[in-house]
Amino acid sequence: MTSIPRSQRKHTPKAKSKGMLARAIKQSFVKLDPRIAIKNPVMFLVWIGTIITALMTIDPNIFGTVVGRDVRLFNGLICGILFATVLFANFAEAFAEGRGKAQADALRATKSDTSARKVLADGSISEISSTSLRKGDIVKVIAGDMIPADGEVTSGEAAVDESAITGESAPVLKQPGTDIASSVTGGTRILSDELLIRVTADPGKGFIDRMISLVEGADRSKTPNEIALTVLLAVLTQVFLIVIATLSPVANYAKTPVSIAVLVALLVALIPTTIGGLLSAIGIAGMDRVAQFNVIATSGRAVEACGDINTLVLDKTGTITLGNRLAEEFIPIGSHDLASVAQIALNSSVFDETPEGKSIVLLAHKLGAVDQVDQTTAAGIEFSARTRMSGTDVDGIEIRKGAVDAVKGFVRSRRGQIPLDLDQAYERVSRLGGTPLAVCQGDDIYGVIYLKDIIKPGIRERFDQMRQMGIRTVMLTGDNRITASVIAAEAGVDDFIAEATPEDKIEVIRAEQALGKLVAMTGDGTNDAPALAQANVGVAMNSGTQAAKEAANMVDLDSDPTKLIDIVTIGKQLLITRGALTTFSIANDVAKYFAILPAIFASAGIGSLNVMGLASAQSAILSALIYNALIIPALIPLALKGVKFRPLSAEQLLQRNIFIYGLGGVIAPFIAIKAIDLLVAAVGLA
Amino acid sequence: MKHILSPTVIEDLSAIATKLHDRKSTRYLLWSFAINLILAPVVYAATGGTISREQSYALGILGIVTVALSLYLFLVIFQPEKF
Repeated sequence: MTSIPRSQRKHTPKAKSKGMLARAIKQSFVKLDPRIAIKNPVMFLVWIGTIITALMTIDPNIFGTVVGRDVRLFNGLICGILFATVLFANFAEAFAEGRGKAQADALRATKSDTSARKVLADGSISEISSTSLRKGDIVKVIAGDMIPADGEVTSGEAAVDESAITGESAPVLKQPGTDIASSVTGGTRILSDELLIRVTADPGKGFIDRMISLVEGADRSKTPNEIALTVLLAVLTQVFLIVIATLSPVANYAKTPVSIAVLVALLVALIPTTIGGLLSAIGIAGMDRVAQFNVIATSGRAVEACGDINTLVLDKTGTITLGNRLAEEFIPIGSHDLASVAQIALNSSVFDETPEGKSIVLLAHKLGAVDQVDQTTAAGIEFSARTRMSGTDVDGIEIRKGAVDAVKGFVRSRRGQIPLDLDQAYERVSRLGGTPLAVCQGDDIYGVIYLKDIIKPGIRERFDQMRQMGIRTVMLTGDNRITASVIAAEAGVDDFIAEATPEDKIEVIRAEQALGKLVAMTGDGTNDAPALAQANVGVAMNSGTQAAKEAANMVDLDSDPTKLIDIVTIGKQLLITRGALTTFSIANDVAKYFAILPAIFASAGIGSLNVMGLASAQSAILSALIYNALIIPALIPLALKGVKFRPLSAEQLLQRNIFIYGLGGVIAPFIAIKAIDLLVAAVGLA
Repeated sequence: MKHILSPTVIEDLSAIATKLHDRKSTRYLLWSFAINLILAPVVYAATGGTISREQSYALGILGIVTVALSLYLFLVIFQPEKF
């Protein structure tokens, strides 16, 4: 099985798009329910306007005697256009929601009620339904079984197919004891061998359940920016409502009485219906774009926060450099030769299962070192962030490899001497941007291993883009200062913290937040959980521990730390799209104002303001309303897809927005309304 | 009459009345109609008899709807998280 490139991966089974349009059309009518419609103040006013004009179509004189030709037809046309406006806005929201619901349905299909082999206290096995499992239960799964619930592997080793949630077809090895490989997800399938799993989530509270409710939008609540925009739209609507409500006496005084239907039309034309109709669709589409990227966000707030991020805190390994550092060279020091360094390096790495450890073994073998350590009698010493060393204890001899400072401390504690040329070797490797590891046996330092770090291609360009957007990048690494500075300069990050411990992550985040900045970071281990919770945007790797996933507000199903940069881009795109359409919507008002008002009050002496030369007052009103309605479906693709992202600073983006969507928003309706007016007049509607 | 107001019909009607009584919107509607009983004659008088009584009632209701919409918008402005 081969790994599919990330850009081509999707959740499997794929969300079905068939029938989505029909469902969205049906939902557009369901959303006419006043209890739903009231959630959108702008469109609710349009809906009330539709009802008022419908009454005026049935009885044109209901609110007072109206003189004129074809009044009923005119009122009916206004009513129809307003109804279409409400339906178009509902459709935009329903279509955006439909994409999330289709994805949720696809996920639900993977989640079926399976039987589980529960291990009882006496060791016997009882077959029960997976829905009867509770947190803490132990279950046994064998090759071919669906894993019945989220859990931690307590014993066994097996390959698991996680494509149902990651889209990645390559199986993942699961085994107990490690932070990362021991966590399993309900709904995934075991391909080989067997596992004993301790259930960590009650039914309905598992990872897939959370994913379903998130993509479905069940937990969707308005984000702070959406709330702020809703208030702005409500204020504008309120102002125009008061203006229109008080316009009638003024019109009567100017001896140009205006019918209620015309006033309703004027109100709808002036309130920001375009952004009012598309606002929630933009937000839902933003969540959907993140999900399409195989990232699950816990809320729209998290996606939006990405757009406001000022600082990115990134781990060096896996994000800036390729995850696997490889042993490039052994540098002997003191009186030791290359062969003896290779032998000690090999002896220190026999229990090391990391890619780095394996590459040291490979290089040592290549240089003629032979396996001397009997693994049945020797003991492996695991690497820890505290000791920053790993190694082997064999027959009372301590063999260690690790950070140069750590090994120096170890040797000093054994009353050993530090060779004078150790620092030279350390500096040489560091200046190459590599990681130097010292190797020692007891109190004797043999040499330095040069672990070569490879910077990911294209990462420098990405950081340049981030800088253009005003985002500061901070690299965290356990490496020494010289290595860190070389990698930082090569990768183009703005700042770095060398010899960082997990605790440093949270300190960096707090320091940035104290300066009023929003911080994003990635993490996968349990020790990352506090920092993930502290960060404004915390992205946990799906391969990470349950604690990390629960502390973060996003989970990357592909477990690719570089994706944080893409997520920030999506967040920015969401904010830019919302800003662009708001600018466009408000700019539209200028043209609609010039279309309707001069036409209505032509007899009051402001006919000269009819710069578009519209055929008649009725034609002007109908043209402006038709434009107002049609612009909503015309902008649905842009709202769903998002405005094309460009790495520009906030000022440049504002200028660009004002030029394209502000100026465009003023000019486009002038042209469109005039064209519609010609058409309306030609068919004799007004 | 006796036949129409059978015990089941009365029970059904009282059940509907109880349900409607429990609904806030029903009460608001009732209040607005009640207020319109005062408002409509004022509108009628203000127009100097150029409109009919029915039109004055319709205009009164329209006025109440406009005020209600304005209050609703104020609610959205001050408590946006509820929407």
